[in-house]
Amino acid sequence: MSDDLKQPFLDELKSVTSLSDAAALKVKYLGKKGLVTAQIKSLSTLSPDERKQAGQQINELKQFIEAECDKKESVFKNDELKIRLLSESIDITLPGKFAAFGSEHPLSKTLGEVIDIFTRMGFSVEEGPEVELDQYNFEALNIPKDHPARDMQDTFYVSDDIVLRTHTSPVQVRVMENRKPPLRFIAPGKVYRCDADVTHSPMFHQVEGLMVDKDIKFSHLKGVLITFLRQLFGPDIPVRFRPSFFPFTEPSAEIDMGCILCKSAGCRVCKGSGWLEILGAGMVNPKVLENVGYDPEEYTGFAFGMGIERIAMLKYSIDDIRLLFENDIRFLRQFS
Amino acid sequence: MRASFDWLKDFVKIDAAPEAAAEKLTMTGLEVEAIERIDGDAVFEVNVTPNRADCLSMIGIARELSASYNVPLVFPDLNVVSESKELDFNVEITDPELCRRYAGRIVRNLRVGPSPDWMKKRLEKCGIRSINNVVDVTNYVLLEFGHPLHAFDLKTLKGSMIRIGTPKSVKGSAGLKFKTLDGTERDIPGDSLMIWDAERPIAVAGVMGGLDTEVTGATTDIFIESAYFEPTSIRRTSKKLGLKTDASYRFERGTDIKALETALDRSAILMKELAGGTVYGKIDIYPKTFHPIEINVRYERVNKVLGIKLEPRQILASLNGLGLEIEEQGSAAFKVQVPPYRSDITMEADIIEEVARLYGYDNIPAELPETCLGGDQKKEDIYSQDLKRDVRQSFLKAGFTEAVNLSFIGADELDLLSIPADDARRKLVRIKNPLREEEAFMRTTIVPALIRNMLHNVSHGNRDLKLFEASRVFFSTGPDTLPEEKERIAALYFREKAKTLYREDAQDFYVVKGILEAVLAGTGITDVSYVRSSEPFLHPGRAADIIINGQKAGYIGALSPAVTEKLDLKASKPSIIVLDIDIASIMSASKRKATYRQLPKYPFVERDTALVLDAAIEAAEIIGHLKSYPSDLIEDVSIFDVYQGTGIEPGKKSVAFNVRYRSPEKTLTDAEVEALHAKLVEHIVGKTKGQVRG
Repeated sequence: MSDDLKQPFLDELKSVTSLSDAAALKVKYLGKKGLVTAQIKSLSTLSPDERKQAGQQINELKQFIEAECDKKESVFKNDELKIRLLSESIDITLPGKFAAFGSEHPLSKTLGEVIDIFTRMGFSVEEGPEVELDQYNFEALNIPKDHPARDMQDTFYVSDDIVLRTHTSPVQVRVMENRKPPLRFIAPGKVYRCDADVTHSPMFHQVEGLMVDKDIKFSHLKGVLITFLRQLFGPDIPVRFRPSFFPFTEPSAEIDMGCILCKSAGCRVCKGSGWLEILGAGMVNPKVLENVGYDPEEYTGFAFGMGIERIAMLKYSIDDIRLLFENDIRFLRQFS
Repeated sequence: MRASFDWLKDFVKIDAAPEAAAEKLTMTGLEVEAIERIDGDAVFEVNVTPNRADCLSMIGIARELSASYNVPLVFPDLNVVSESKELDFNVEITDPELCRRYAGRIVRNLRVGPSPDWMKKRLEKCGIRSINNVVDVTNYVLLEFGHPLHAFDLKTLKGSMIRIGTPKSVKGSAGLKFKTLDGTERDIPGDSLMIWDAERPIAVAGVMGGLDTEVTGATTDIFIESAYFEPTSIRRTSKKLGLKTDASYRFERGTDIKALETALDRSAILMKELAGGTVYGKIDIYPKTFHPIEINVRYERVNKVLGIKLEPRQILASLNGLGLEIEEQGSAAFKVQVPPYRSDITMEADIIEEVARLYGYDNIPAELPETCLGGDQKKEDIYSQDLKRDVRQSFLKAGFTEAVNLSFIGADELDLLSIPADDARRKLVRIKNPLREEEAFMRTTIVPALIRNMLHNVSHGNRDLKLFEASRVFFSTGPDTLPEEKERIAALYFREKAKTLYREDAQDFYVVKGILEAVLAGTGITDVSYVRSSEPFLHPGRAADIIINGQKAGYIGALSPAVTEKLDLKASKPSIIVLDIDIASIMSASKRKATYRQLPKYPFVERDTALVLDAAIEAAEIIGHLKSYPSDLIEDVSIFDVYQGTGIEPGKKSVAFNVRYRSPEKTLTDAEVEALHAKLVEHIVGKTKGQVRG
């Protein structure tokens, strides 16, 4: 007798066209007064044997109708959801609301890279005052008053005894006065010289470094600085050391690297030489060690220094130092 | 220093091409910065470091080539044919400390005229203009030997006498006026060394001769001076007079006290050759003879400092040709006598440098030191460096672009901000020799620079600016002490209220304050509050001082329209927010350590209530009252709506707050929360004299 219902149900199912039709159909057959429900109720009138067989059939039919109706319902539900979501559509090509990260200044970026390389090599970072005693900036570094070596650095004076530091080297003296070797640190910071043109700014940034211990040699200075330059500019960069003069180192060296702009072929920036001056360095002058109470027979060391503006200008091909301090965002955003 | 390659080859016979010789010089410490071709000659532009006065001459540079090519140095003709051995002329040194030797010769009956072409050309190639044969000879010898000479017109000298002394020692005077040969009348300080005849000063020693005793076309007899002046004294005089000459440049770097005689003879020979005349004997006052320094050098030390393994003979060979007198002292050391022209060599380390540069820096190996691990840096320093980096990173991530400005400020920039006279930011450090008056002080605040940056950017059409800068500022502590240096971070937010794609639903002040709060929270700072700021350049209604641990750490606020009006800012309805905060305050309050707290076990219950109260009552006060209510069950309170307008009486506002209740011990029942919240509302209504909004 359940077969009598199955065919009509299937016929009716075909004509279901909406979610509500599907629900109505389900009620018609499976609701409290539904056709299937009525048959279930009438089972009690049958003998036990008949009841068992008919019950099984009706149950199967009930499950069949339930599943078919659910199937139909979910099809319509999905369609409805699709329509709703479509209506909620936005223009995903408009920009996001967050305005983008700011750009780190190219000097900070370069300074950060330099500091990272040295800290990875075990150097710590030390700081000192930017307005400094003449004593620390010059005298303790073997640059007496009335010495032509003072011409190497045009100095801003606050008073006869106070200057704007012309290099971060006084940090070396301050640290050495307070600590005993072994020492291995860099001193990054702002320095000042009274000079201003396309390649000179009255304020610029330097990183100086110092390593003092027993048995520190010139060969170590070469090893550390070559390692540094290769990490900063690439493993194939040519490097050369040539003698120079700094009052606080002896022997002193100037370090050139192959011109990164013309690949050492010779260009305007390297003045045709294929080389770029990039670092000054040397073995710490025994007089400087004596000045801070170290025994130069026991300890030796090397010191080096570099200008961050120069490195940044080379790295990013910036041809006018003033751009670095103008803070035009069209310039600054190029380094994000 | 310009050096003609042809001229150098007079003294060192090498076949090398100029480029190769230049490279050799560069790699041994005399950097040749450029080579200029003139008339088939190559002129080197040599960068002579201040320690190498000896290389301010052809002979000196030739000596370097001689040492690196291992070719002997050839001196020019120095054989003077003179009429007498001694000179009947008086020389008196009154300041022997400032003039350690004074020599001279007389040449009579010469004819002043043009120099021959070869000499003119050599001088010109080296950057010296030809004047006449007599003056040219002194300059030629200056270039050749690096020793400055001066020729006086003998007939203008009074009393056959030369005196050397300062105005103080000769005349007891504190200074005098003197006309140098460039025609300028100069004020000569009392302690500057001068040359005098029997009556008057005739030259500023080592710097410039006088106009009255200058060699002219009519000169027939001359006195040639060759002397050694104390370098620091010459430098001081040159600095004080603002007068730098080829002579002063060399004297202040130290000249060769021995070779001044050679230079004098060489000039006499050339005078005779070029201008005719008769050379007379010389006078030479040399009270204290030069004693060369002796330096003991250990072979082992040389190798140890440089990181090389040279045999003693290799070390000695590298020093050949520098003119050092070397005496071996057994197998471990040698002794060096330093010639007077190498006054830069005073200790063992200097000899080690000589070995290194002639052996070649490029021949020294490169190796990394074997050393202990790091870790000697103070924990505080590492922390502070990390924190500074973190704070900068936070601003970057929040969309602020980093600026770097010069540390200078002009006083008018503080005036612009109406900073009062007694404000700490007026404790300016003045620079004695600034490049410009606008850069005469060290800055005490970063904000004016950011305002400058804003003006620059806006005038170039760069809108919607967010800039920050982290830098030190400087406060004077007195004329003789170092200033106090403080690190601060400042930011400027500029927005033109114009076209914007998305509705800006918060006031700019809150946008920037939100960022500041996030930055501070990122450093672990919890105790921060905001009170109305009285900074004179901020909008009084829209500015707050940032209070950390009870101390003012900085401020945040809208730039006062009074300031904006004074700026030449081409923008319509600009909204400018500035903030400025002390890094040390952040550092001292920031929490470095996090400790885990157990998560709550029982659920929370929330209640919202809106109050209508006086518009002047601020959020911090309401939150304060709510938090001060004595109950352990209040977990958190927050304000989620503030409204003024339709339905709310003028002068009043509606403030809606949310309270989250939770017990650590049990699940709270509705009834418990209801009772508690009712009491809390009663409390806040009482405190604020407000009423619950229906």
